[in-house]
Amino acid sequence: MTAEENTSEWQGGDEAFVPVATESSSGAALDLLRIVRINEEIKRVVSVAFKINIMALNAIFLAKRAGNAALGFGVLSNELRVFSKDLREGMMALTRQIHDLVAEVSVILQESRYDRVFAEAALAAPDHAQLHTVLERREARHGERADRIASLRRGLRLAIDDAARLVELGGVLAKSAKIEAAYGAGFASSLGQVSGEFDGIVEEIRSSLDSLRRSGFFGGSA
Amino acid sequence: MKTTQTIFEDGGHKWTAIVRDPAKPEFLIDTNEYLVQHGGQGLLLDPGGSEIFPAVFSALSSEFDPSKIAGIFASHQDPDIVSSLALWLEFNPQMKCHVSWLWGSFIPHFGGKGDTFVPLPDEGAVIPLAGLQLQAIPAHYLHSSGNLHLYDRQARILFSGDVGAALLPAEKQGLFVEDFSSHIRFAEGFHRRWMGSNEAKRQWCERVSHLEIDMLCPQHGAIYQGADVQRFINWFDELHVGVLRS
Repeated sequence: MTAEENTSEWQGGDEAFVPVATESSSGAALDLLRIVRINEEIKRVVSVAFKINIMALNAIFLAKRAGNAALGFGVLSNELRVFSKDLREGMMALTRQIHDLVAEVSVILQESRYDRVFAEAALAAPDHAQLHTVLERREARHGERADRIASLRRGLRLAIDDAARLVELGGVLAKSAKIEAAYGAGFASSLGQVSGEFDGIVEEIRSSLDSLRRSGFFGGSA
Repeated sequence: MKTTQTIFEDGGHKWTAIVRDPAKPEFLIDTNEYLVQHGGQGLLLDPGGSEIFPAVFSALSSEFDPSKIAGIFASHQDPDIVSSLALWLEFNPQMKCHVSWLWGSFIPHFGGKGDTFVPLPDEGAVIPLAGLQLQAIPAHYLHSSGNLHLYDRQARILFSGDVGAALLPAEKQGLFVEDFSSHIRFAEGFHRRWMGSNEAKRQWCERVSHLEIDMLCPQHGAIYQGADVQRFINWFDELHVGVLRS
């Protein structure tokens, strides 16, 4: 599936999810759905990054066979392997942040059910002072939790931006590999094909990260 | 909203039944909650599911300060028994939940922390309440594999959880059993299906026959009192349980 297809499914998925959530929990439910989608996209990027690693390894062997004519290509292939590793590590860090977000949002979903129950209790016993104290305490906890989620949200966005910058570097490496492939003498065609694949895959990752940055979770339209 | 009815009172020692909510949705099973008060403290027996918390809370708080509830007794682990735990803990986070050791790591999924739970051993235990000694009585496999009832020797009341439960029709909502033979028809199918062990049932009947009981208070249905208590024990003793259909 392409990133574009993913994006359209993403929008449709959000819309479809809203009616099954209760009014009070729909915001958290929508957030949870968006987080799940982000996580799926991250898994996809990790998988593609691993593919770059294997491709770069093969490219290094190819460059060795091409000899002096592909020395530059070999260096770039090696850099692409490092890029692949850095990208996967960055994505794993994102996954950990996602885990923290899921934990916080899940608590909100559970608490929203209890909020409804307490609201009904307050209607049934409107003059109960202690119940109002409990409601105020819960409200304060909700505020603290909202602050934590906002902080995690900002952290996740920054980490995605970092990953996007890393992918820009990967794009430069792939384009440079294309140029170096042209000097590959008898191997130029093979090296050109490999560098073209690098370029395509980096473009795919860039597209995934762009869709993540446009996620409704960060206030975007996707 | 549920109503409260005092079923025993002797000075500061009191049993209150919290029962019958006309506004309860039909898809939720009706439950009885009981509050034992002694020395200004309360023990709430099978406080119910989270969905009925508003009804139980408003009824109870009209009678008693919820922050004075020192503990909860959960006869077993079912959601209609104790899924409201987290809500009650909001009023007193130090509140203890007395429950079979078997469910000590299951019920925390409803709420509470490690020190919330007081595990009850299989043979039962004394649960103190401001000087009153309440006795947790084994009722394992009736229906839950870790199941206890609560006996108050002074009040001569046995809280019997699901044993004695009856699924009553809308026109029979009295708090006490009035005509045993007609009432027990509403209990028969429940007991045949939900009680899983004839041997456990036999042992329970033998055990409670030695207790002085004026009232047998189930979590569903009506309370047995006087001669109906022994009638019920005899009926249950002869009932073949652990079958899909009667």
